[in-house]
Amino acid sequence: MGTQVKDVIIKPDAPSTLLLDKHADYIAAYGSKKDDYEYTLSEYLRMSGIYWGLTVMDLMGQLPRMNRQEIIDFIKACQHECGGISASIGHDPHLLYTLSAVQILCLYDSVDALDVDKVVEYIKGLQQEDGSFAGDKWGEQDLLRSVLSQETFGKMDTINVDKAVEFVLSCMNFDGGFGCRPGSESHAGQIYCCSGFLSLTGQLHQVNADLLGWWLCERQLPSGGLNGRPEKLPDVCYSWWVLASLKIIGRIHWIDKAKLRSFILACQDEETGGFADRPGDMVDPFHTLFGVAGLSLLGDEQIKPVNPVLCMPEDVLQRINLQPDLLS
Amino acid sequence: MAESEEEVDVLVQRVVKDITNAFKRNPNIDEIGVIPCPEARYNRSPIVLVENKLGVESWCVKFLLPYVHNKLLLYRQRKHWLEREALADITCTLLLLNPDFTTAWNVRKELLQCGVLNPEKDLYLGKLALTKFPKSPETWIHRRWVLQQILRQCSAVGWKHQRGEAEQADAERSQQLSDHLARTLHQEMKVCSDAACRYPSNYNAWSHRIWVLQHMAKGNVKVFHDELSSMRLWVSMHVSDHSGFHYRQFLLKELITELSQTPASTPPSSPQRRHSPVPDSTSPPPSQGPANGELSGAEAAAEEDRQLLQLFHQEVELCSDLIQSFPGHETLWSHRRHVFYLWHHWRREHHCSSNGGNTSVRLNNSDPTLAEVSAQSCASRGESVNGQGHASDAMEVDGASLPDPRDSKRLKRGVLLPGPPSLLPAPPTLLPAPPHPAL
Repeated sequence: MGTQVKDVIIKPDAPSTLLLDKHADYIAAYGSKKDDYEYTLSEYLRMSGIYWGLTVMDLMGQLPRMNRQEIIDFIKACQHECGGISASIGHDPHLLYTLSAVQILCLYDSVDALDVDKVVEYIKGLQQEDGSFAGDKWGEQDLLRSVLSQETFGKMDTINVDKAVEFVLSCMNFDGGFGCRPGSESHAGQIYCCSGFLSLTGQLHQVNADLLGWWLCERQLPSGGLNGRPEKLPDVCYSWWVLASLKIIGRIHWIDKAKLRSFILACQDEETGGFADRPGDMVDPFHTLFGVAGLSLLGDEQIKPVNPVLCMPEDVLQRINLQPDLLS
Repeated sequence: MAESEEEVDVLVQRVVKDITNAFKRNPNIDEIGVIPCPEARYNRSPIVLVENKLGVESWCVKFLLPYVHNKLLLYRQRKHWLEREALADITCTLLLLNPDFTTAWNVRKELLQCGVLNPEKDLYLGKLALTKFPKSPETWIHRRWVLQQILRQCSAVGWKHQRGEAEQADAERSQQLSDHLARTLHQEMKVCSDAACRYPSNYNAWSHRIWVLQHMAKGNVKVFHDELSSMRLWVSMHVSDHSGFHYRQFLLKELITELSQTPASTPPSSPQRRHSPVPDSTSPPPSQGPANGELSGAEAAAEEDRQLLQLFHQEVELCSDLIQSFPGHETLWSHRRHVFYLWHHWRREHHCSSNGGNTSVRLNNSDPTLAEVSAQSCASRGESVNGQGHASDAMEVDGASLPDPRDSKRLKRGVLLPGPPSLLPAPPTLLPAPPHPAL
């Protein structure tokens, strides 16, 4: 006589096959009506939105459908004097969007479209005394920023890696997980960032893989979906954060892959294309990327292999010769 | 209804003015929202103010937001000048509609820095935005920046006071600032509480709450105690709220840190307990040491042990009650595990190393599980774990021959236990492992 576990119920008529063409059409058409109210509301994260859209298109082998030159010009217009890049034209620069921009340019093999030295200088200037990074000149520090800053490909020697590692480890909790600041609650998104960071810096041995793996695989619910913390509903983006973390620490076999796959597929919208956070909800590019990336990690052969640390196609990373460690 | 560009211009400027005037008319507005209203009513403002609630009719939002959004960006790109007042009004409107628009908050930071806005205004604006968007990360981030400005201002005065340079007027001012800080602290607790009620397991609200205590109440035992008691009822009514329970774990950990400092290692006046900007207004606990001449070092240590034991006992009791009243909540089992970990860690760290394994404090043995754990803990190796700690000796999963956890988990889901959890045999780990939380 226990309580019902918080979860969703997948209806029998939920999508059960992968509708890649529909998703490609959805992303290709997204944002074509640029004066849409919803589009304005999300402009503050546009650069990340573009990264999500382009990455999922590339994973589906559909990158050529996107307007490469327009996007590169857009990125150039977003680089500020300080070297930092903003989410959209006229917005203030920020580490998050600087990194999204760099990732986009990697997909297009055009990192030199930016003043790379200035970008490196901007990021270096954001590192704090305790090793963490501020997101921008106003100083909010947290883990996500520290971690993402490592993705300035090949320029890690310009920042104090040891201090950054020290900070990341100070955010490790006794349940094996990581929070956003020392003392904060463990959270799957933060865990993903930290595992990725420790992978990029060759520090994965600092993770208690069994303990963390246990916490992570506990995220799987009867529906097959994954949540981000105890007693939260499943969400398709966690089929990325949690799954990729498990892959990085070598324990992806600790979850039921078949059930997760059927949950992810159920999150598709057969009419509009795209993925929602859970079956029946509204779709968006963010969940579309993580749904497709999750399926790739689970081994779907219709999708390009995705790198679990950087959430980019493996072939892009091979091109730039970046192969982060994974535990086995 | 088609509007020409000029008509939209005029309309939006009127709406922004209406919003500004609403705040002037009623400084007690405590909630914002959008009123579903697909069509404008002739010549009536879309801004509705009823009983401290500010509403915007939905039909105008699609005009309002893009207009103020683009206006702000034109300003930011130096293509269009805006007076400071206008900037304040426009960013206010924008952030009430879209509080994750970071650039708008940054403009306000600049206005704050040059004195056009005072910090209280932004705390108020943020509070309102959170009534509709209780998770908004950028709102919480801006809030922390504003609080840091306030703390910086206050500590500048406080430092002068401590150095004895303060005169009578300054001393009064200093007291006023202390009170102001205490009020600010309590206001933050309330804002966090409200946001936590509005969205279940609101990570951002609770982690902000922790940040506030870490920066405005460091070492303030009374505040931690008060928070623990005031949150007791709340968590009992939100047994799925993992963040709420994590907050209690944080409070316990802070109290352990504060109360575990023995007088031998801490100077009698305990300055490190007093570096909270918010004054500890109650009389100091008896464990202040020889300074007040009441208790000796050993007695003070014993008293602190008793306090901590009582805290643990109460927490475990609360947890047991809730588990029995609301069976099958993963959050409650997770909390139980964390509390036992804290208990286990404290026993090993504090008790065995300082007393060489001698239990000088008698446990109230009404909770057999605590006694069982303490007996095991003193026998274990006394490794020190720093602050948050590496998980190296954390809640150890039996490392010997780890079965594929997938098997036992899949099998155990949905199976009912015949009796209360304490009847399960403990696996060979340092801590009794909980049965599967779904049970």
